[in-house]
Amino acid sequence: MEFFERFAIPHPSAPIYASMVAIALTIVAIIAGLTYFKKWGYLWREWLTTVDHKRIGIMYLISALLMLFRGGVDALMMRAQLAVPDNKLLDAQHYNEVFTTHGVVMIIFMAMPFIMALMNFVVPLQIGARDVAFPRLNALSFWLFFMGAMLFNISFVVGGSPDAGWTSYFPLAGNEFSTSVGSNYYMIAIQIAGLGTLMTGINFITTIFKMRAPGMTLMKMPMFTWSALITNAIIVFAFPVLTVALAMGTMDRLFGTHFFTTNNGGMDMLWANLFWVWGHPEVYILILPAFGIYSEVISTFARRNLYGYKSMVVSMVLISFMSFLVWVHHFFTMGQGALTNSIFSITTMAIAVPTGIKIFNWLFTLYKGKIEITTPMLYALLFIPLFTIGGVTGVMLGMSAADYQYHNTMFLVAHFHMVIIPGVVFAMLAGLTYWWPKMFGFMLNERLGKLAAWVIGISTLVAFMPMFFSGLDGQARRMYTYSASTGFGPLNMISFVGAIGLAVGFAIIVYNVYYSVRYASRDIGADPWNARTLEWATHSPVPEYNFAIVPHVKSAEALWDAKKKRHILFQGDYEKIHMPNNSGVPFIMSSIFFVWGFAMIFSMWAVAIIATIGIFACMAHRSVEIDHGRYISVRKIEETETKLRGAK
Amino acid sequence: MKELFPMKQIMGFVFSLMLTVVALAVYFLNMSFAMGMTILVVTAFIQAAVQLVVFMHAGETKDKGAIYTNVYYGVAIALVTIFGTLLTMIWGYN
Amino acid sequence: MKLDHSLPLEYRTEEGQLKILGFWIFLGAEIMLFGTLFASYFTLVDRVGSGPSGAEIFEITPVLIETLVLLTSSFTIGLGIHAMRLGRKKAMLSFFAITLLLGLAFLGVEIYEFVHYVHIGAGLQTSAFTAILLTTLGTHGLHVTFGLFWGLFILLQVKKRGLTPETANKSFIFSLYWHFLDVVWIFIFSFVYLKGMM
Repeated sequence: MEFFERFAIPHPSAPIYASMVAIALTIVAIIAGLTYFKKWGYLWREWLTTVDHKRIGIMYLISALLMLFRGGVDALMMRAQLAVPDNKLLDAQHYNEVFTTHGVVMIIFMAMPFIMALMNFVVPLQIGARDVAFPRLNALSFWLFFMGAMLFNISFVVGGSPDAGWTSYFPLAGNEFSTSVGSNYYMIAIQIAGLGTLMTGINFITTIFKMRAPGMTLMKMPMFTWSALITNAIIVFAFPVLTVALAMGTMDRLFGTHFFTTNNGGMDMLWANLFWVWGHPEVYILILPAFGIYSEVISTFARRNLYGYKSMVVSMVLISFMSFLVWVHHFFTMGQGALTNSIFSITTMAIAVPTGIKIFNWLFTLYKGKIEITTPMLYALLFIPLFTIGGVTGVMLGMSAADYQYHNTMFLVAHFHMVIIPGVVFAMLAGLTYWWPKMFGFMLNERLGKLAAWVIGISTLVAFMPMFFSGLDGQARRMYTYSASTGFGPLNMISFVGAIGLAVGFAIIVYNVYYSVRYASRDIGADPWNARTLEWATHSPVPEYNFAIVPHVKSAEALWDAKKKRHILFQGDYEKIHMPNNSGVPFIMSSIFFVWGFAMIFSMWAVAIIATIGIFACMAHRSVEIDHGRYISVRKIEETETKLRGAK
Repeated sequence: MKELFPMKQIMGFVFSLMLTVVALAVYFLNMSFAMGMTILVVTAFIQAAVQLVVFMHAGETKDKGAIYTNVYYGVAIALVTIFGTLLTMIWGYN
Repeated sequence: MKLDHSLPLEYRTEEGQLKILGFWIFLGAEIMLFGTLFASYFTLVDRVGSGPSGAEIFEITPVLIETLVLLTSSFTIGLGIHAMRLGRKKAMLSFFAITLLLGLAFLGVEIYEFVHYVHIGAGLQTSAFTAILLTTLGTHGLHVTFGLFWGLFILLQVKKRGLTPETANKSFIFSLYWHFLDVVWIFIFSFVYLKGMM
């Protein structure tokens, strides 16, 4: 019995027990369903072992949407707790756990896989490639992310959630003040997911450098691909910092080292420093692909070439480097001197310049364009003003002297939500709607899509604008309650209404998916939006080899110029196509990583050692394995192409 | 037998041994901290460059632009991280 | 599979070229990994708590042996790749074997060094300084250990399958890894040991 006590929850409550039952029932239902419908083989052959970038993209997408739901429930719980003064809905400990998991889930397990989903699906198609450079590594990336996410998500029913904030500052996250295994979950689960992300970075840089269609020079790449290249470059250089920081944190918690403790020479603020050396570039990892999506959407629906292509590229390259120069602005109040703070204040304001350039480029693209308001375009148009609010308040926070007033208040919370929601979330929803027909072969309903966009846009303002004011009035972030005499009550109530509005907006999107699955036309052709880039030059949904004939590209807007200037994209005959084989190893290896992580979290060393050996065994297997892939014959290609063309 | 030992690699090896000896001067001779650090920085970075060019063949294919960009970028950001951290945690810390 | 015969064996397939570039990018990430360790090391180097400082525990002899052994192993693996490009399989295998033996010698000295540190009261839990010292050295040491197994696997494959585009590609990538570990060691040698003993 003693062995099992470690898995108990330190602060149990009725909702957590209810969640346990719900999780158990869901698992039973999934297993029963798969068995009843005899889908185990299908699941294994078509999904768990797939190395196809499109399927991996769709799996990322499903994971991201599930995590969006989980993080969203956390958010609603927080806003409900704060809606009225002295609320008793959550106690302090639960509130701590909820805001911690909300942050981690939304950034690392929702926003990251969402951009991974779109990058995976779109980038190889945009550059006219058959797959990514290392398809099996890509599968491993996904499964590592997935196992990391699952590990993190079981924390609240097994052993207790992390409760030291998504930044997990030491010494609060150290053994002295965080006695449950919650912070172990944080350290290990993010480590596993982070490894997957790093591999994605390497994979996509190689893909974009080496696998572009003939004629597509770097300066003829679509803007989303450019943003993906820059993003992955930031990933490659930022994620190792997180790896080291998490490893040091893990050692402090599990092996009794003194990196971040307050005695024996330990330096707690070194954690904050390393966390933000990774954390600030991470912000740009999220926002640059979003900028790429807006660039595609705006030029498609303004029916104009993107204004200032070169300046867009230059500003992203600048951002990629400068994103590593500003991290200290996250802890101006730590105690470093005026000189240090001034240096980082200046770099912070400087990085707003390339971002500003991009905003003006979009405005100039819209200017004199034949604007067509579709759902993706609506998100893009809502993004520009809302994001600007978030951006300029960021510059306010970036002034170190003034930051002493705003630091750790709701003003900060309002700022980064006004950046991330219009910046990242709107972009993901725009991208999802925009590329949905390419993914699934039918379009989402436009009326419902626009309704959702308006509800989400307005609710964002309702939810977060009040926080600017309550923050300036002195409401600190992460306080689980406040008294009526502070006067924060009405503003927080408005925020709560906004949060409900956001939930309604997402519910409309879910309904839209259901509605469109049932009623949308499947007869949409390859290019329903009259778009400009290569992904729209192949069938919807896309055959496994992407392009029957490799396209030849002459300009940055390859498809548009093929339509308008009669450039010929596809010439020559079908040839047999080389494709990679499916493999179960990435899934198995990541599952072993899950076991390893779980064992580490609960200090079960024997299991951890066995799992480590298992991981290395998988790598050894990969080393000696001989796998030359397979070929799709010309006859098979002809059959597929005829069938897909017949469907039009 | 001789073809197995190309001059370029032998020279590279000898050169890296010499650089090691020069670096050892900071241990065996008495000198100021600034002088010692200068010697170490110079010898370490030259050694790294020798490895990169002579042994790792960084510039031999048409990908050399990507490879050198990648390495310089990594080194630049690593230096920014190291000196930025020192500035924040030690030199600029009251 | 398309072959381009103007290039060395390891670059001949398109897949091989992708892997080499991909590995270079991975090395970029490794630069950052060790850069972060160095940043932490320099921050914590004087924070010795009640434990010893670097000057009190470092000894020049084992460090010099480690340095010479690793430098030589980097040289021999370079010769191994050269032999591979000449198509001299046997010579290549010998150079690879020497490299791995030198790596093993390095690891032996490093383990001795670690045992010694723990013995004189500079263990992982002693202070922030000893923790970051052993972590930095240990990260490098783990890389070497991993490399020994990896190199052994490649050696056996070349022996069994001969010099094919695949095995040549694997060998070349392994040599990049090994040289990189030598570069990292040069920085550890200079800025951990020599700076500490200066």
